[in-house]
Amino acid sequence: MPKVKIPRKSTIVDMTAMCDVSFLLLTFFILTAKFKPQSIVAVDVPTARTTRPVDNAITITVNKEGKAFISVKEKSTRYAMLEKLVEFSGDHYPGIKDLTQTQKEFFSLSDTWGTPIGQTKQVTSLNGLEFKKYQEEQMAGIPYDSTSNELGDWVMAARYATGGDIKIAIKGDKDSDVEYVKQVIKRLTEKDIHRFVLITSLAAGGDAAEAAPAEGGEPK
Amino acid sequence: MAQMEAPAGGGGKHKGGVRSKKMSTRVDLTPMVDLAFLLISFFMLTTTLNKPKAMELNMPKKTNIEEEKQDVGECQVMNVLLDTLDQVWYYDGLKVAGLQKTTFAGDGGIRKEILRKLKAVPTECPPGKKWVDANKNKVKDEGEVVMGPRDAIVLIKMLKGARYKNMVDILDEMDITGCKVYAIQDPDPIEIEAVQNGGVVKEFARETVTQ
Repeated sequence: MPKVKIPRKSTIVDMTAMCDVSFLLLTFFILTAKFKPQSIVAVDVPTARTTRPVDNAITITVNKEGKAFISVKEKSTRYAMLEKLVEFSGDHYPGIKDLTQTQKEFFSLSDTWGTPIGQTKQVTSLNGLEFKKYQEEQMAGIPYDSTSNELGDWVMAARYATGGDIKIAIKGDKDSDVEYVKQVIKRLTEKDIHRFVLITSLAAGGDAAEAAPAEGGEPK
Repeated sequence: MAQMEAPAGGGGKHKGGVRSKKMSTRVDLTPMVDLAFLLISFFMLTTTLNKPKAMELNMPKKTNIEEEKQDVGECQVMNVLLDTLDQVWYYDGLKVAGLQKTTFAGDGGIRKEILRKLKAVPTECPPGKKWVDANKNKVKDEGEVVMGPRDAIVLIKMLKGARYKNMVDILDEMDITGCKVYAIQDPDPIEIEAVQNGGVVKEFARETVTQ
């Protein structure tokens, strides 16, 4: 009988195709990844153990001094938010009724907004550099006291702009007075908003120890 | 430009001539693939892990419908006060005089007290007098809490100047202990005074729970 010859095959596989695919994926991920926008308002969020990820939300940042800022992720939503504010509250705030297209565009470019509505016109007329300086030095925050609930109007406008089922996230500084956050919540409940999410970061060992210095750390 | 080496002189007839070796043009791409996948995994992980985390907080709706209001027995209530020095004060029901101080420390602090209350209420307390299941036929909102007749309710009261961190901590405790019914309220003057006096209540006796 003749011997059956098994042809010897090389064990080397051509990696070119795999390399192509992996670099394609790599390029995709690099291009789709969004850079975290540099936050204008510095806030040190508290830690908590029970957290859930938040996808899409209107974020209200309350800093240590109690100034409130509103942030919306998408540029188009920001534009729509301003339009809705003019539509629904234009009579209360005559200053925003005659904003020009350029001013509205300028507004929608800014990720975080913290200007009393009365000053919107003035601030949106600044140029890029002046605006940056304004943001760093003299952003006054959105008023949220019982007489002028501008924050509530902004949030309602943002809700109209997004279709209503968006979450309202509150991002507070862990060392700030709880009174500020309480006031913000109060103003929003006046606008019939009852569900909030509080932005936290996941608790790590170091921070738990800070919470209970006398007992020396957190039992796991 | 790469230059071709022209054969020297008479055309390479002699034996010991320089012969360029034929190199394979194939390169081993395995390390490159390794690197690419490493980078892919890095980008995938960092982009998804960067999402903000948050805890949920539902505030009660104001209602004027008498049926929707629920009667809470004194026995069911636990009051938790947060002061400016990161301390937690608590007392049961209306007994402000029984104010006690504790901390946020893991199992020994306020968590133990909340768990004790949660355990005690269903067995020891009579159900609220006027309890009606107002939510029985209603379509509930997502996340809406329906209080049972024998649920413990924790009233969280933060004094002016308390740190926001403590508010998040106590809400965290609510979630950890599984306490479903809690409310954030403004503290009463008598409670503020009691905390400031180090837990000592002077001559007042509170008569009603203000809701």
